[in-house]
Amino acid sequence: MPRPPTDGPVEKQALTTTSEARKPRSDGSPTNALAADLTRQLGPRKVLHQLSERLNYRYDAIQFGVTPLAVVLPESTADVVAAVKAARAAGVPVVGRGAGSGLSGGSAPMQEALVIAFTRMTALQVFPERREAVAQPGVITLKVTEAARPHGLIYPPDPASFRTSTIGGNLAENAGGPMCLKYGVTGDYVTALEFVDAAGDVHRVTRDAYDLAGLLIGSEGTLGLITEATLRLIPPAKFTRTLMAHFAEVGQAAEAVSAAIAAGAVPAKLEFMDRACTNAIEDYLHLGLPRDAEAVILVDTDGNDLDTVTGELALVEQACAAAGGVTRLARDPAEADALWQARRSISPALGRIRPQRMNEDIVVPRSALPDVVREIRALGDASGFHLVQFGHIGDGNLHPNIMFDPRTESPQAVHDLAHRIALVALRHGGVLSGEHGIGTMKRDFMTDALDPATLDALRDVKRALDPAGTLNPGKILPDPQTPEAPHAHP
Amino acid sequence: MNHDIPVLTLGAQGEVMAHAVDACVHCGFCLPACPTYALLGDEMDSPRGRIVLMKEVLEGHLALPDAAPHLDRCLGCQGCVTACPSGVPYGELITAFRGWSEPQRARSPLDRAKRWAILKALPAPKLFSVAARLGQHAKPLAPVLPAALRGPLDLLPERVPAMQPSPAVTAARGQRRGRVALLAGCAQQALAPNFNAATLRVLARNGIEVVIPDGQGCCGAAALHTGARDEALRLVRTNLRAFNPDDYDAILSNAAGCGAGLKEYPVVLHGLPDEAQARAFAAKVQDISEYLHGLLQGGILEPTLPARTPLKVAYHDACHLAHAQGVKAAPRALLRAIPGVDLVEIPEGDLCCGSAGTYNLEQPELAAQLGGRKARNILGTAPDLIASGNIGCHTQIQSHVRRQGSPVPVMHTVEVLDLAYRGEL
Ligand SMILES: Cc1cc2nc3c(=O)[nH]c(=O)nc-3n(C[C@H](O)[C@H](O)[C@H](O)COP(=O)(O)OP(=O)(O)OC[C@H]3O[C@@H](n4cnc5c(N)ncnc54)[C@H](O)[C@@H]3O)c2cc1C
Ligand code: SF4
Ligand code: SF4
Repeated sequence: MPRPPTDGPVEKQALTTTSEARKPRSDGSPTNALAADLTRQLGPRKVLHQLSERLNYRYDAIQFGVTPLAVVLPESTADVVAAVKAARAAGVPVVGRGAGSGLSGGSAPMQEALVIAFTRMTALQVFPERREAVAQPGVITLKVTEAARPHGLIYPPDPASFRTSTIGGNLAENAGGPMCLKYGVTGDYVTALEFVDAAGDVHRVTRDAYDLAGLLIGSEGTLGLITEATLRLIPPAKFTRTLMAHFAEVGQAAEAVSAAIAAGAVPAKLEFMDRACTNAIEDYLHLGLPRDAEAVILVDTDGNDLDTVTGELALVEQACAAAGGVTRLARDPAEADALWQARRSISPALGRIRPQRMNEDIVVPRSALPDVVREIRALGDASGFHLVQFGHIGDGNLHPNIMFDPRTESPQAVHDLAHRIALVALRHGGVLSGEHGIGTMKRDFMTDALDPATLDALRDVKRALDPAGTLNPGKILPDPQTPEAPHAHP
Repeated sequence: MNHDIPVLTLGAQGEVMAHAVDACVHCGFCLPACPTYALLGDEMDSPRGRIVLMKEVLEGHLALPDAAPHLDRCLGCQGCVTACPSGVPYGELITAFRGWSEPQRARSPLDRAKRWAILKALPAPKLFSVAARLGQHAKPLAPVLPAALRGPLDLLPERVPAMQPSPAVTAARGQRRGRVALLAGCAQQALAPNFNAATLRVLARNGIEVVIPDGQGCCGAAALHTGARDEALRLVRTNLRAFNPDDYDAILSNAAGCGAGLKEYPVVLHGLPDEAQARAFAAKVQDISEYLHGLLQGGILEPTLPARTPLKVAYHDACHLAHAQGVKAAPRALLRAIPGVDLVEIPEGDLCCGSAGTYNLEQPELAAQLGGRKARNILGTAPDLIASGNIGCHTQIQSHVRRQGSPVPVMHTVEVLDLAYRGEL
């Protein structure tokens, strides 16, 4: 059945296509009581119940999960409340979803569920006088800066996925990005949140008293569904300079980073990619990156005083040269833009190497970086897998990726290697996730990372806000009953 | 993306499809590039969603009629291909899928008649010209006709120009510096005969001899992209016989859709005995703007006269030029080379105008929304002239710009050059 147009924005009106109107579909009417109830309450335009539609709401950028029973595309907080209450009445769990660009399986349902996908909640207001924006969760990250720029303001958090990912997804993962080295992560820019809890009640919270907003940030949709956020905006720096350096060995790059920061440079961005990454990017963008170098780092310094900006860049340049690197300054903003586009494309460009990957997201102290990247390199070489590394190295945030082909390589072996990498990070005083979340990917490793008392405290928090465990079940917390979580592939 | 597509039973085109599905890492980078996702905001009408739907159908988990509405809404604009860092050949996937699925589809008699008419009329310039003329007379009736017929009528120009037969050989002016073959195009010959006339004048002026080989036909793209694979194979082979790549420096097209079609021949014939021949042919194919840009870079493009008054030109990227063929810099460089031209970029420039082959006929509502959006974006730059390299975009943009009350002229890039050479720009 075609979904007849309702009162939504004109450009999104559902359409009766000629072929759709004529062809009977094999699953024409809601197939389950929940879908039927939701359709009655919200109207057909906001509820997807056909298999062809539901199939598309079972994956994120890393994992395929269980096909949901129904999907709701809410347009207001009231729609979300209705959906959560209907799911609760039907005893069906709820999974929130933004753009499905997550890298830890967060929006892939682990059991039959109701998916609430926020892509049509896209209202966005900018209040330049108080340097804030109020965004619904489906607003695409980049749009916030685009809307703020005419007022001389920007929204700094810039995950590489910022053209695709949503504010809701960013909040739920506490997303970072290259800018977070100097400017901080998503959570640092949130002043207030509205969320719907597991019972369907609406709450508005700020950052004082118990910082409940802070608790929701990074909770991966397991404590509540964020329906609105008040975000802080800042004026952009007047000057930015960009530098690229390449090295004959990955450890050298890490040494340069430690040295530059120790020397007092506070780069706006400081990113790293290894040889496999540069080559995958070259195949896509043909920028003339050094294909033979084992590691490349990309640096921005910025500020309102040009001397300071170039001075800081010189510190980085010296540190790179001292570590044995070759440096190159971007001649103009266009060249700098191209280099940053290259950085943003690494992750998907790796698809050229193998169809499947396990994406790690560890953070280690900067002083440990040289040892950590070398140890991980050695683990990769010994494993026989294609292992690549890149990341926000200035923060000590690394993304070792294990590339594999599930038809010829054992997913269990991939999981084991990922586990060994996680242990390297923990051994050097690091943590399991910098920005992508725990999701299902690193759930098993939580018992290595946290002591039992701390894990119990997390379980208590979860129970307090979601007593029945209906919000995004199977994520973050290892389930004491079923310790073995599914692996990183369908 | 992991899959169980039964490649062996699907043959060579199955390999093409499985390879594309394999390459997709479902990252979602393509979502913002997709016009239907921009309009509808749901995953099924996004490139990533469509890849999953095709995979599910090929694996046998989903019935074709369930997936079809979402796949039918795809413009084939390949905006997603440009956006995809993993190098997923989405265009090859959807084309192969349409060829594979079309024979299995139950279509109503009216639907089938419409498709038959499109497939027969588009490739036959004379027939198309007659139909266009008939349509022109029917225009006043448009308000009372069913939507399916109104769409195409809306697109017809106010006056359908007379057919201008093109000469088989156009001699080079002055010293001969090259010899090329030109694909004359189908609907374009009827709707915009000046595109070819301007092309011949500009090439001749630059010392290039142009041959329009006898026996050539439609490039086959329309047939291929609507799933009529047998018809497409017939047309492809006709052209392989008509154009001997060894005889020419280049085989040129001045219609982005056709050019992209010609460059696709090796994929169409993948796994068939004439694949190598298709490769040799495709290696010679260039868009007119690519070829002229080559002359410009070689320092041998005749300079044009300056525009008579400073001119703000908005260049529209045809999807089949920018996304399917990756030609973005060449036409811009050619236009910028005309003294007095100020080139402006169009907001949301990568989003399709909604014309996309037969889309206006098959998805009139979406096509109209996209056309309106494109016209608003273009007119927002307040241009004196709009340039583009594809007949489909040309008619679509002209129609929507007029609908929004603007008289700004819309021209082919090569027409702009032609005017500049004659001092009439
Ligand atoms: C190529 C690529 C590059 C990336 N680069 C970065 C990077 O540099 N930095 C970074 O931090 N991440 C990065 N990511 C990961 C991903 O883009 C982020 O995690 C992003 O925040 C996810 O947003 P989304 O809208 O796609 O959310 P989804 O993937 O749909 O969901 C992510 C999680 O958020 C929950 N969720 C979504 N919306 C809500 C809501 N309104 N309320 C409550 N919970 C909700 C979901 O349940 C899920 O657990 C990258 C991903 C890709 C594919
Ligand atoms: S950008 Fe490419 S790899 Fe990513 S989802 Fe789209 S098609 Fe797949
Ligand atoms: S070809 Fe165009 S319409 Fe089709 S999926 Fe790709 S971007 Fe969307």
